[in-house]
Amino acid sequence: MSARIVAVLNQKGGVGKTTTSVNLTYALAKLGKKITVIDFDPQSHLAVSLGVVDPQKSGIDKVLLEGVSLTQQLIPVRKNLNLVVAGPRLQEIEQLMDGGARRGDLLRKALLDGNRDEDFIFIDCPPSSGVLVANALFAADEILVPMTSDYLALQGLSHLMGTIKKFESALKRPYKFSLVMSRYIPTRRISKEVLSVIQKYFPGQILATTIRETALLAECPSFGKTIFEYRPGCRSARDFTALAKDFLEGRMM
Amino acid sequence: MAEKDEDSLIGYDPLAWMHRSDSNQDSQRDDVDELESHAASAFASANAEVPGPEMNHDEVPIIASESLTSEQGERAIVVLEPVLNIQNVAVLHQRLTQMLSNFEAIDIDASGVTMIDTATLQLLLILKQTAIGLQKSISIDFPSDKFIEASELLGIAEMLEVDQAASGFF
Ligand SMILES: Nc1ncnc2c1ncn2[C@@H]1O[C@H](COP(=O)(O)OP(=O)(O)OP(=O)(O)O)[C@@H](O)[C@H]1O
Ligand SMILES: [Mg+2]
Repeated sequence: MSARIVAVLNQKGGVGKTTTSVNLTYALAKLGKKITVIDFDPQSHLAVSLGVVDPQKSGIDKVLLEGVSLTQQLIPVRKNLNLVVAGPRLQEIEQLMDGGARRGDLLRKALLDGNRDEDFIFIDCPPSSGVLVANALFAADEILVPMTSDYLALQGLSHLMGTIKKFESALKRPYKFSLVMSRYIPTRRISKEVLSVIQKYFPGQILATTIRETALLAECPSFGKTIFEYRPGCRSARDFTALAKDFLEGRMM
Repeated sequence: MAEKDEDSLIGYDPLAWMHRSDSNQDSQRDDVDELESHAASAFASANAEVPGPEMNHDEVPIIASESLTSEQGERAIVVLEPVLNIQNVAVLHQRLTQMLSNFEAIDIDASGVTMIDTATLQLLLILKQTAIGLQKSISIDFPSDKFIEASELLGIAEMLEVDQAASGFF
């Protein structure tokens, strides 16, 4: 299996991880890529945003806790796009502590298993830095960090980079790392200043398109629709199409 | 850059440590006198790489609590302080020796260590060997890169089994 495994990660809440996971994967699927997206957050917002609402349905929880194969848990939600829901027991992983927090390799093992044919596996991470995120970091080849352009997000990014560096040194491999500016408000001065600070530290690692803050993007999850289905052709849909191309072609700021 | 700008909206730049760690030069570290000069200079540069205050212990990927003892008489977990030097080695010695007599196994969480001196490393090494003699075990879990770096410099990474600990991170 040679899928690129991408963790959509930021321990800060509400920065746009799930919005990015939903709409970027959908845009990539529309461009013909085969995608599996894993809802790795016990809050299940990703599944809800894609219109899958069944709190009892098992998903990645059963893969990790009972060794069920990932293939068995795939739900085809759109053309070229498969979803693995979180499942009601995912929270238990976060609480697994005894015998050491050595349960970090569960996801990696599960993803290596079986021969599926996806081009990308996306992992929508929870806003925390516990065992679930450790699993995601252990499994991922690439990290995609959605970043808002406010001051506290910058603080959070500093914290996150510390964690990532620790994993890189423990795993003895570097990640492919990129940032996406999300919920961007171009009319605010602080947005531009935060962006320029980030550009200073991450040259060539910020995807070229910024995802702007729009009312439509905030509305679509409650209808279980991606922005492309909720309001085709709108500005945010265009943002995500451009972002998908940036992502595939490595176009950075 | 933004932070030098008179009316910038960004005051303190929390990411500054990332650039500092690229160009580590002098360090204002305490003397590490018992080291031979080669190791000493390497230590100094390792210390200089320690990120700023924003990178502290509460951000380790997995948090083990200090008093997490699964079962009395079985295993104990000790979380090491970020900075370990000769000043606190006696206290640490006492604490670990006592635990070693009460428990079968001690897991030492070294994930938060940003600075460790030879005295502390020697203590850990001696305790590990003592434990083996007693048919007990001491293992070092989640060693931070500073910890690994320092123990490799002293050539005791293998004896402390931190190389294995790192690859079996979880
Ligand atoms: N570009 C945007 N414009 C408007 N609203 C947005 C945008 N991006 C995200 N939102 C909204 O902000 C909220 C948080 O976004 P989202 O759920 O994607 O963040 P998250 O990082 O996944 O959050 P959590 O940390 O809770 O998982 C949601 O209500 C979402 O609809
Ligand atoms: Mg989310």
